[in-house]
Amino acid sequence: MKNKQPLGNRLKSYFSKPANVICIIFLVILLATVVLPLLTLLIGSFTVNGNQEAIYIGQGVMDGDFTFNHWKELLTSRDFDYALIKFWRPLGQSTVMALLACLVAVGFGGVVAWFITRSDLPGKQFISTIFVFPYIMPSWAMAMFWENFFKNTQINAGAGMLEGMTGICVPESFVYGLFPCAMSLGLHYAPFAYILIGGILRNMDANLEEAATVLKASRFKILRKVTLPIVMPALISTVLLVFSSSISSFTVPFFLNKSSISSGNNFISISVQLRSLINTGFTKGQGYVLAIILMLFSIGILTLNNWFTGSRKSFTTVTGKSGQVSLVKLGKAKPFVAAVLFIIVAFFAIMPLVSFAMESVLEVPGDWSTFTLRYWLSSEGFEGSNKGDTIGILRSSIMWKALGRSLLLSIIVSLIAGTFGLLIGYAVAKKRNSKLATFVSNLAFFPYLIPAMSFGAVYLALSYTKGFTWLDGSFILLMLVGSIKFMPFASRTGTSAMLQLSGEIEEAAIVIGVPWIKRMTRVLFPIQKASFISGYLLPFISCMREMSLFVLLAASYTTLVTTVLQEYSRTGLSQAANAINLLIIVVVLVIQFVVNKLTGASIDKGVGGN
Amino acid sequence: MPKIVLENVCKRFDDFVAVENLNMVIEDREFITLLGPSGCGKTTTLRMIAGLETPTEGKITIGDQVVFDSEKGINVSPAKRDIGFLFQNYALWPHMTVYQNIAFGLENLKWPKDKIKERVAEMLQMLKIEEFEKRYPSELSGGQQQRVAIARTLAPSPKVLFMDEPLSNLDAKLRLEMRTELKRLHVDTDSTFVYVTHDQLEAMTLATRVCLIKNGVMQQYDHPLETYSNPANLFVADFVGNPTMNFIDATGKVTGENTAELNFFGKTFTLNAKGGLKQTEETEFVVGVRPEFVKLGEGALTGKVYATLPAGMETTVKLDVDGFVLTSVEFGSVDYMVNDEIPFGIDGENVILFEKKSGESLGKGCVTL
Repeated sequence: MKNKQPLGNRLKSYFSKPANVICIIFLVILLATVVLPLLTLLIGSFTVNGNQEAIYIGQGVMDGDFTFNHWKELLTSRDFDYALIKFWRPLGQSTVMALLACLVAVGFGGVVAWFITRSDLPGKQFISTIFVFPYIMPSWAMAMFWENFFKNTQINAGAGMLEGMTGICVPESFVYGLFPCAMSLGLHYAPFAYILIGGILRNMDANLEEAATVLKASRFKILRKVTLPIVMPALISTVLLVFSSSISSFTVPFFLNKSSISSGNNFISISVQLRSLINTGFTKGQGYVLAIILMLFSIGILTLNNWFTGSRKSFTTVTGKSGQVSLVKLGKAKPFVAAVLFIIVAFFAIMPLVSFAMESVLEVPGDWSTFTLRYWLSSEGFEGSNKGDTIGILRSSIMWKALGRSLLLSIIVSLIAGTFGLLIGYAVAKKRNSKLATFVSNLAFFPYLIPAMSFGAVYLALSYTKGFTWLDGSFILLMLVGSIKFMPFASRTGTSAMLQLSGEIEEAAIVIGVPWIKRMTRVLFPIQKASFISGYLLPFISCMREMSLFVLLAASYTTLVTTVLQEYSRTGLSQAANAINLLIIVVVLVIQFVVNKLTGASIDKGVGGN
Repeated sequence: MPKIVLENVCKRFDDFVAVENLNMVIEDREFITLLGPSGCGKTTTLRMIAGLETPTEGKITIGDQVVFDSEKGINVSPAKRDIGFLFQNYALWPHMTVYQNIAFGLENLKWPKDKIKERVAEMLQMLKIEEFEKRYPSELSGGQQQRVAIARTLAPSPKVLFMDEPLSNLDAKLRLEMRTELKRLHVDTDSTFVYVTHDQLEAMTLATRVCLIKNGVMQQYDHPLETYSNPANLFVADFVGNPTMNFIDATGKVTGENTAELNFFGKTFTLNAKGGLKQTEETEFVVGVRPEFVKLGEGALTGKVYATLPAGMETTVKLDVDGFVLTSVEFGSVDYMVNDEIPFGIDGENVILFEKKSGESLGKGCVTL
C-alpha cells in the first residue's frame, strides 16, 4: 500500500514533468541506436555471415546458421598458430602499447598540470593554450609527425626532418611499431590528462594544503599525503580512459605499422586486426568477436572507473573560496624549468604543423632544393580511385566537396549530439537519484567505450540488415553514427553544467509560470552558456577529425575530408596527404579559436576542467 | 480570498517518510511559520503547497480551487496556483539585471510593456533598491539580493507568498531589519504568508500562528505565545524559547483534578493547576520551568552559581542544584561570584507538568513547598 493514487493519475503526473519525458524518449532512442546495433553485433558473432564464410567454415553450415566457430577459431585454433597470431599476440602488444601510452600521458600531462596550477612558472597562459593543441589535432597527426620527423633512408623510408637536420638515423623500431605508436598516443592524450588533473588541482580547496602547512608538514609530505590522494581519482580516471582509447585506437597503428615482417618488428594492433578481419568476406564473424572483446575491455574499464570515482572515493573539491594558492617558488630553477617545458610543449604542439607544411611543399623530404607548390595548386589529374582528383589539393573538386561535406556533417552532428547531451544532462540533474535517469546517462556514455572501429562495424552490419539497407552509404547513416558516437562528451558536459545550477534557479521560473522551452532557452542555457557551447564544440571537433568511425561507412558519394586524406595517403601522395592534414587541423583550430573568443566555450571546459 | 487547506497530506521518498498525514488550515491573510529542526519536513510541506513537490497522498486546496488531490488525480502546476516563492539562496538569475529579473515574470503574464515598467519601478521603490536597477545580481550584497528576490516575488501580486528560510543567509543585524520589513510587507501586501524557518525566535516574532513539526509530524499549531506558555509536549517546550526551558525530572503522583504531588531537588512540592490536570497513573514526570520563573535572591531552595552570562538587557545565571544545572534569567545586569551559594524560588503560574513517558503536557500551575 505504498501508493493509493490510481495508475492513470500517476502516469499523468509522471509525464507532466519534462525531465521524465526526456528520460523516456532517450531511453527509446538509445535502446534503438546503441543497444539494438550491439545486439546485431552479438548475434553476428554467433551466426554464419554470408556464403563465403559458410564455405570457409565448412561442416555443411549455411548462411545464417548458428555457430560457435568464430569464437572457437579466433581464441583457440592452433593451426599455424592462428589464434596466437590473429588474436593473442595483437592483444598483448596492444595492451603493452596502451599501458605505455598511459604512462606518457599521465606523466607528461600530470607534470605540466602541476607546474601550471601549483608553481610560479612564467608564461602559464601561453603554455596552457598550446599544450592542448595535440588533443585538438586528429590522433593520427602525432603519428604522421612522428614518421615525418624520424623516418630515415637507412630503413628505406626517405629522409625525415631529423636526418635532414642532423644526419642521425634512428633504428626502425623507433619509427615504426609498438614504441612510436605508444608515444604518439601518449602525446596525443597528455593534454587530456592535463585537463582532468589540472581541473582537480585548480578546484582543490587550497585550505587543505594550507592546513597541512600550518601543521608543519613538509612540501613533499603534503604532496604525498594530501595532494596526491585527492588527485588520485582523477589520475586513475585518466589512466583508464587513456588506456581504453589507446587500446582501441585504429589510426595511429594504421599509420605506424609499415615495417616489414622480416625485420622482426611486426606490430599489428588489435584494432588493425579487427579491420582486416571484417574486410575479409570469410572472417566477418571473427571480426565481430574481436569487436565484442574490445568492447568488453572498455566496459570493464568503465566499471573500474566508476568504482574508483564512486561516492566514497571521490572528494568534493569544488569550492568558491580560497582562490589564493600559495604557489611553489621555483627559485633559481625557474628560467631553466620554464625554458625546458616551453621547448617540449612547443615542439609537440607546433612542430607537427610545421612538419605537415614542410612535407607538403617538398618533393624530397628535407631537401629544400625540391621545393614545390604542386601538391597544393597543380590541376594535374592523378589516378586515384575517385574521378576528379587532382594532385594539387586546392584544385581538387573532390577535396572541396568532401571538406564541405565534413563541415556540414560536423555541424549537424554537433547540433544533434550537443542538444541531446544538454537534454540528458537536464534530466539527470533533475532526477538525480532515479534509476532510470542513471541508466539513460550510462547508456548515453556507452558509445564512448565502443571503439570507433567497432562502432563503425556495428552500423555497417546494421546497414546490411534487411529493412535498413536504405542506410547503406548514406549521409543519414554518417549523421546517425556521428551523433551517437560523440554524444558522450556532450552529455557529460551537459550533466556537469546542469548539476552546478541549483534547482531553485529553475523553480523560481516555474512559479511565475515560465513554460519549459522558455526556461531552457532564457534561463538555464544563458547561465551556463560557456559550458553548454563546449558541449557543442567537442562533438564538432571530434567529428571533423574523425577517420576510423567513418572509414567503413563512407561511400564514394559521401566522401569526407578524412577519407580523401586516406585515399591520398594510400596512393602514395604523402605530400598531398600532409597538405590535407594541415588543412583539417587549421580549420579545427580556427573554428575552436573563434568559438572560444565569441562565447568563452573551450575544449577543456568540456572535458572537465574549469 | 485564499484560505489554504491541507487534508491528510503525506510525502514519502521510497521508505523515508518526510511528511506524515498533515492536516492544516491556513486562514486568509495569516502569517504562518513552519518551524522545526532541519530535516523535519517543513520545507517539503511548503514545496508541496507551492506545487514544486508532488505529495504522495492527500488533498490541498487554495481558496476555492483544489490544487492537488491524489484520488481525483488533480495536480495544478505551480504557475497556475497564483503564488509567490522566495528561495533560501534567492535564486536570482545571474545573467539578468535587477530590472530584467523583476520584469521577467510579468512578461510571462503578457503584461503590456509600460505597465511592466511602472510595476517594476514601484517594486524597486517599495524595497528601496531603485539605484540598482541596471546592476547584475553578482554586483549586489546579500541584503540587496534579498530585496531584489522579494521584489521579483511580489511583482505579480501573488495572493499567497511562500518563503523558505529567506533570512538565513544574512548577517545578524540585517536579519533583524528584514524581519521588521517582512512583517510590514505582510500588512502592506494584504496577502497570506507561509514561512519556513528553523529559528524559533524568527518564528515567534513574525508569525500569527506557528506550526511546529518534528519528523514529519505536526506537534502543535498555535499562536506563538501559546506555544511558549502552553507547549503541547516536551519537544515544543524545548524548541521554543531561548534560553530553553528547564526540565527537572520528578517523581510523584497526580492527586486530584488539579493537584499533583512532586518530588524533586530533594523536596516535596504541590502543584496547583487552575485549568485542571490530565489524569494519569504514571509516577514519573518532568517539571518544565521557564528561566524567567526561577527567581534568584529569595526562596526556600539554594544553588551554587555555576556561571553568569550578562548580555546587557538581561543576565543568564546558571545554577548548580545537586548536580542539575538550572537556568535563570534576570532582567538588567546582575553579577554573582562563581561558586556563591544563593537562595532561589520557583515563581508564577506557568510551571508545566509533563508525563515523562509520553512527553505530553498534563497541565500548568504554580508549585509550592
